[in-house]
Amino acid sequence: MGDAIVFVVIWGILTTLGEIWFRSIRAHSMYYTISNQGSIALSAFNFLSSWLMPIFIFVALMVIYTLIRFRAPNNEPKPSLVQAMRNKWYIFFWVAASFLLNIMFWLHPTSVDLEAMFTNWRQEKKQNPLIVNVTARQWEWIFSYPQYGIKQAVNAQGLDEMELPVNRPVEFFLRSYDPFHTYDVYAGVIHSFWIPAFGIKEDVIPGETRTEFLVPNHVANFKTSPLVRVQCAEVCGPGHPYMEAPVSVVTAKQFAQWIAYQKKLQASGV
Amino acid sequence: MEQRIAQAEPRNHPQPKVLRMAPVLRGLIWATIGFVVFDLFTVAVDPYRGNPLVTEPSAVIGWVGGLLGWLLGVGGYEEMILPLFGSPSTWVEPKDWRRYFGLSTNHKVIGIQYLFSSSSIFLIAGLDAMAMRYELMQPSMHFFTYTGQYLTAVGIHGSLMMFGVGTVAMISGLGNYFVPLMIGAKRTVFSRLSGIGHWLLPAGALTLIASPLLGYWDTGWRGYEPLASQDPGGMVYYYLGIFAMTFSTILSAVNLSATIIFHRAKGMTWARLPLFVWGILTVSLLNLIWQPEIEMTFVMALLDKLIPFHFWDALGSPETYLSMFWLFGHPEVYIIVLPAFAMWNEIIPVMAQKNLFARDWAIIGLIFVMMLSGLVWAHHMFTNMRNSEMFPFAFFTEMISIPTGFSFMAAIGTLWKARLRLTTPSLLVLMSLFNFVVGGLTGVYLADPPVNLQVHDTFFVIAHFHYTIIGGMIFTWIASMYYWLPKFSGRMYNETWGKLLAIWIFIGFNGTFGQMFLLGLDGMNRWVPAYPPYLKPMNYEVSLFAFFLGAGFIAHAIHIIWAWRNGPKAPENPWHSRTLEWLTTSPPPENNFDGEVEVVRGFYRYDHDEPSAYLVKDASESQ
Repeated sequence: MGDAIVFVVIWGILTTLGEIWFRSIRAHSMYYTISNQGSIALSAFNFLSSWLMPIFIFVALMVIYTLIRFRAPNNEPKPSLVQAMRNKWYIFFWVAASFLLNIMFWLHPTSVDLEAMFTNWRQEKKQNPLIVNVTARQWEWIFSYPQYGIKQAVNAQGLDEMELPVNRPVEFFLRSYDPFHTYDVYAGVIHSFWIPAFGIKEDVIPGETRTEFLVPNHVANFKTSPLVRVQCAEVCGPGHPYMEAPVSVVTAKQFAQWIAYQKKLQASGV
Repeated sequence: MEQRIAQAEPRNHPQPKVLRMAPVLRGLIWATIGFVVFDLFTVAVDPYRGNPLVTEPSAVIGWVGGLLGWLLGVGGYEEMILPLFGSPSTWVEPKDWRRYFGLSTNHKVIGIQYLFSSSSIFLIAGLDAMAMRYELMQPSMHFFTYTGQYLTAVGIHGSLMMFGVGTVAMISGLGNYFVPLMIGAKRTVFSRLSGIGHWLLPAGALTLIASPLLGYWDTGWRGYEPLASQDPGGMVYYYLGIFAMTFSTILSAVNLSATIIFHRAKGMTWARLPLFVWGILTVSLLNLIWQPEIEMTFVMALLDKLIPFHFWDALGSPETYLSMFWLFGHPEVYIIVLPAFAMWNEIIPVMAQKNLFARDWAIIGLIFVMMLSGLVWAHHMFTNMRNSEMFPFAFFTEMISIPTGFSFMAAIGTLWKARLRLTTPSLLVLMSLFNFVVGGLTGVYLADPPVNLQVHDTFFVIAHFHYTIIGGMIFTWIASMYYWLPKFSGRMYNETWGKLLAIWIFIGFNGTFGQMFLLGLDGMNRWVPAYPPYLKPMNYEVSLFAFFLGAGFIAHAIHIIWAWRNGPKAPENPWHSRTLEWLTTSPPPENNFDGEVEVVRGFYRYDHDEPSAYLVKDASESQ
């Protein structure tokens, strides 16, 4: 009984310290997030972390506790003094706790957050969002803005880039095919549309159209944080590491200027 | 009269042929001849010939010829083909070290052959990983000259580790050696099949290693379609290499499960079956279900590559390949770690001389992990599945941690108030418990779709599965090698060195993969030899730890080989274990036991001194 009390006390102290430490870093614990979808993922991550902490400390402490407290003085094969094969309460506690924790995890972050995610998507659909058509080809991201007649958004050097106005819902239409392929535009492979700062990742499957909805909620760009970029996350051939494009989240005014600039570029045929 | 007896036993051929050439050497020569003959034949009948002498189809058919030549050359001709046509087998197994270099029917020889092959594959795939880590020390390409080279290196590393080490070292290696000993059998059921099965493993590994000869392929170890169908020819040897290696695993699984079911000693009831044997049985059943599934998928993919069938491109269904791959791919990780779970609870009670706690729950855990493992595959597809499917797969994925926890429950229950001898095996098992709990708990994040959508396909995932596989299985494999070393060789390792090296790999391992979690959260994606420069400092550090870890594995190998040959003599039963393998001499004789084994009680009780089994010596059988 003494060992159990000592163990539980140490476990409690370490867990408390761990939780305090985690609370102090949790704002930055997962990643830099600037979208509503990203906040869902971040809060789920933080919730899971604070519940998994005691389990991790339990096993880690048990390993260390065994090494110190239950270590045989020498390597003589002497039977242990306690020879329990069964402890009803311990087994009951373990099985019940693992069931309850798992069901809670499934209910709390998983079901609740998925529901929040799906609801977000439904509501934003109604509010006339900004539509961005994303075409993934080997190995380039092409962004077009059909509402503004922009076929391919590029910067002054002619490299693809994406700009989004802050706090306006965005609907991405994701397709994988190669508009520049000489004989077979449908020869596409699987890519994955990932913007680390937005907390979204959606595979772009040839022959299908996928959608993503979200609201970017901070002004940021690739220079303020390298996480604000489109990155291909699914291996798609030798060009895969270079399949990335910078993203900028800007104010509505800057966005209007950018659109005008894109129209000018397109008209000049660059 | 004498003559007739000799004929009735074709294996004791009166005049055995003396082998002039080492079987492995002969196998290589026959394989070359087989490849050239089949390849030239294909080129000759190919209506579009005229271009290179080796095309994708001829490389496939040539490979079949090469494999047949190899299998016949290592002893299949004398041991399999001659008896098939009614002639006596002229195969003679040498009694000395040469027996390890040819076909064998002795399960202990086969076990050591498997251990040697998979250790060699571990070394090669590990050096491959070192090359990858060297490349990642800089954010731009500096070691590999072409991204395809790096991606091929990743693919070969993953495939060799999965199919040549993970599913092989503990199952085919330790399983072949110890399962018959632990159940009191004198031999396995299909010993010739098992003997030929081993030789598929080096053939498959060499095929994979040779794949860059046909072109750098980009898909990694998963062979993702439709990228694979447009990849260069090396892809073909990926399919064929894995086909050979998984076939070897299937043959092992057939043999081991049949042996466990039919060759148990008298009194070895299911309730008394040792934990490790339970582990091997559940894993073998998993192998029998899922390895044929992935082989069929790869045969389809190979056909898709040679003849454009469009199974999995925009005209077909790319997601079907993903489902078919992960349907096997997730059980695969349980195939790898189940024997390790079983082994924890094999080593801990012995080292503590304490009754195994909640033995039945530990076994129920193994069985339920086996059954649930087929229901979780789609969590690899949260980024491309229907939203409605996220709920059930998140549910099953989270639930599989419950039976996994039972193995922990038994291990911790046994450790509690024990008198644990802190030997190298017990230290490594404790480290394995620690590592696996990190791998398991980070799996909870991946089971949750919103988090998964962020960290999927990043280094977070890489860290997670290396924690489960290296941390769970490789650490336990090394622990088992130390634990059973006195049985293999009758010699003991050096305790100080063993512990020092265990701490060495523990530090190297956690330094490498612990930081990979942070890299993944910081936006480091997979399959990239070049990455944004802000990730460089941590990648540089990870690489240094990785080199340290790699050196630690090599040091362990050197120590084990040294102890195997020159270690101090070990006592008969150094750990005071009660399972059956310690009932015989070390190393065990040809027929394992010097008599009939009779089991009278379970093996995991240390609260009394009565033996769990007796050796009944039969006068007519003893020499």
